[in-house]
Amino acid sequence: MNELLKPVYLEEKLEEIRADGHQDYRSRSLPTWCPGCGYFSMAEGFTLALKKLGRSAEEVVVVSGIGCASRFPFFVNTYGFHTLHGRTLPVATGVKQANDALTVVAVGGDGDAFAIGGGHIPHAARRNVDITYLVFDNGIYGLTKGQTSPTSVLGFRTSTSPYENGDEPLNPLMMLLAYRASWVGQAYAGHPHHLADMIAEAIAHRGFSYLHILSPCVTFDKTTRTYRNLNMQVRDLPSGYDRTDLAAAMGEAMKVDHPALGVFYEESRPTLADVMDETARKAGLSPVPAGGE
Amino acid sequence: MNGTDVQFAICGSAGDGTIAAGDILKRTMALMGYKVIAFDIYPAEIRGFGKCISRVRVTTEQAYSLKHQSDVLMSLNDAHAIPHVGEVRDFGAVIYDNAPIARLPEGGHVSAHIRPMQLPYGVSFRSISDRATGNARGRNIVALGYLAGLYGMPAEAFHQTIANKFATKPQAVTDANVRAFEAGYEAAIGTFKLDDVVMGSPLHRADGARAVMMTGNGAVVRGLMDAGIDCYFGYPITPATTIMERLAVEMPRRGGRMLQTEDEISAIAATIGAGYAGARSATATSGPGLALMAEMLGLGVMAEVPSVVIVSQRGGPSTGMPTKTEQSDLNMAVFGGAGDARRIVLAPTNVEGCYRCAGLAFELAEKFQTPVIVLLDLYLSNRYETVIPPKENPFEPKQATGPQGPVFRRFELTESGVSPRAVPGQAGGVHTITGLEHNELGRPSDQPDNHVAMSAKRYRKLEPATRYPGLTTIKRFGAAGKVDIGILGWGSTFGEILEAMFEAENEGISCSAMKVVMLSPLPVDELEAFFADCRVVLVPELNHEGQLATLVSGTLGRPVVRLPRATGAPMRVDEILAEVRRLAAETAAAAE
Ligand SMILES: Cc1ncc(C[n+]2csc(CCOP(=O)(O)OP(=O)(O)O)c2C)c(N)n1
Ligand code: SF4
Ligand SMILES: [Mg+2]
Repeated sequence: MNELLKPVYLEEKLEEIRADGHQDYRSRSLPTWCPGCGYFSMAEGFTLALKKLGRSAEEVVVVSGIGCASRFPFFVNTYGFHTLHGRTLPVATGVKQANDALTVVAVGGDGDAFAIGGGHIPHAARRNVDITYLVFDNGIYGLTKGQTSPTSVLGFRTSTSPYENGDEPLNPLMMLLAYRASWVGQAYAGHPHHLADMIAEAIAHRGFSYLHILSPCVTFDKTTRTYRNLNMQVRDLPSGYDRTDLAAAMGEAMKVDHPALGVFYEESRPTLADVMDETARKAGLSPVPAGGE
Repeated sequence: MNGTDVQFAICGSAGDGTIAAGDILKRTMALMGYKVIAFDIYPAEIRGFGKCISRVRVTTEQAYSLKHQSDVLMSLNDAHAIPHVGEVRDFGAVIYDNAPIARLPEGGHVSAHIRPMQLPYGVSFRSISDRATGNARGRNIVALGYLAGLYGMPAEAFHQTIANKFATKPQAVTDANVRAFEAGYEAAIGTFKLDDVVMGSPLHRADGARAVMMTGNGAVVRGLMDAGIDCYFGYPITPATTIMERLAVEMPRRGGRMLQTEDEISAIAATIGAGYAGARSATATSGPGLALMAEMLGLGVMAEVPSVVIVSQRGGPSTGMPTKTEQSDLNMAVFGGAGDARRIVLAPTNVEGCYRCAGLAFELAEKFQTPVIVLLDLYLSNRYETVIPPKENPFEPKQATGPQGPVFRRFELTESGVSPRAVPGQAGGVHTITGLEHNELGRPSDQPDNHVAMSAKRYRKLEPATRYPGLTTIKRFGAAGKVDIGILGWGSTFGEILEAMFEAENEGISCSAMKVVMLSPLPVDELEAFFADCRVVLVPELNHEGQLATLVSGTLGRPVVRLPRATGAPMRVDEILAEVRRLAAETAAAAE
């Protein structure tokens, strides 16, 4: 019999999923996202990545801001902190400073990251805090029901740009490269297996890793960042691409009409924790400075 | 006050070495075993010729603030010193340079402003310094030597302080300063002393414990360190910066981590992040920074995460007067932010209190799972007091955390309101916290009953804080029982209140004073009892509105008499005293 025609029984399928183990990382709360939202791929990709890396749930902390994307911690079975709009990175930095052994993953939307939280990104990146930042970019404010975001494309009509958006959108990849993030990659919610691999790689990177994820908001964007459009636009990085070449990464990041998927840039340099350890070493070597009162 | 009680004021312009002379003086006095309270005022500008004053009060018995009158004024710059001649008491001394470098206009010499009952000493600091060291740079130290010689203070103690002060400089610097000091000292020996300022010998404690001199901010640092601070995050702002600067030196030596963040929002965000992950973490700021932190403090209240925020107030609103003192952020500390967000707010009244409050803030933050604000002001942050360090570390180590029960309810509705807490890394404790209203499991919920129950929990759990062992949350001073005048105060101003209260008592006025250290939650029972005992309650404080007055009278529903003063300077003892006298006369008249 043709494989596809074989009957699938729900019980058996569930058994199969349970046996795989990655569902252990999912919480009992079902996602509250709209059916078809790109964010479902993040829950799946994240749990697959944790399974692949073999991290136990209690050593992982997911820190998010406010927005549809930021609801994520409720749907996974790790430690989580759903914080304030835009404050994902500084909270995540605090968690990591308190305990180096934790795997800290920061999650947010494009508004959370680049509008209200934009001031924090350069500092987390330059300090090379050993955390992973997953930004789900749908080019719109989803949770507040469809307003213009800093990555909304020119000409996009939203409830706050009723006569079309005229503000030049930001280029997050170029920004992160310029901020000296030590790992920069891009994935697409419509390619969930690649997304899972990229999340795993981002988490495995030692230092600040930034993964930009193109994700359609099926409810409030019917025209620009749709699955249909993105399916046609996305491409692979060119063959022979050198991910240690910052200038090449910038060049690829500039090609916004045809976003490339993959690792744009990677470098190895001391993390914030390394700097802290080095500071402690230097302090231990120097005499006690005066002025203790 | 019996025994020694002498207040020196040294006044000059930036660059005259005014603050340096005051520093050597107060350190020497502390070294000798006197009690010292000292406060320096300097201009906001980094360069220029702004006015500097260093005031040092030296006593054998406990004093609570500077006096409104000084016993000795030493001028290093007459133009700046002239307005301060008036603060010298009768039979006190004014010491000045009788050969300043510039030709001063008519009336430009401080000597022309000395009142008949004040006693002048004109000394040529400049030429004495020239002769002793080959230049005039040591003029301030000559003046200091003169002062020491005039009042018979032992020169060796000064030598030691001078050597300590210049320890990191070449030996020649110390030598030149000692020569300058000696030359000034000698010049004083032949002087016929006219004033009646007397320095008695210091009293030594029976237990031999030696006092150390600390500022309020220095005491905060010690308190945080003794309580085992793990993480600090901060952004520079006067008058809180010195806390971060000192922690930057000390924390890495002890395994702690200090990070200078990009702004105050990230400072408090990281503090709360680290608190969630189980660290003892703190930040420090001033009013403008606290304003930026308001939203995050609300998250700390809602998600029940321990954190400590030190706030040193300065003149406001907005950028205000960064180098002047004020107590105008009480409202923001107690109420700032969105929603019903009660937190703990402590306001120490002296340097010792800064140490205790900073350390205990960690205990309170953990026990009650909440942000704790410790409210200082510039006057308390920067003033020096001699304190006896505790023999043993008075603070409790970090509380154990861990999930309880088969289903971990992070926000369990317990009788006390405090729920079990687990931190990331602990098995079986996996949970998510949020700034959304949530149920016992931490899941978002906007059910009406749940919101009512959770709000009540967050208020209920803080109530026992007002009786926290080891912490003076409120205290009455002076006469017990019924009195005519009660003086209620908080923060740095309470020293002046006590001094005024004791003077009023000496004058026969029936009065007593109460300090409120815990501003949130308020120790209401103790306040009620105090109000019941006093015919009128006066509330002196350094702001325009009378913020404590509003808080207390609003909470108790009782009238108060306000004495708000926001000049940028500390409260004056004589101003409080005048108001107490007026109220005493009024109540006496009303009783007739
Ligand atoms: C301080 C503050 N300002 C505004 C809001 C309202 N708000 C919530 S989510 C959001 C935007 C969300 O957009 P994005 O970050 O792109 O996330 P998405 O919902 O698209 O995943 C806004 C403006 C808020 N919660 N807090
Ligand atoms: S509103 Fe848009 S972003 Fe939010 S859940 Fe729905 S589809 Fe996703
Ligand atoms: Mg968005």
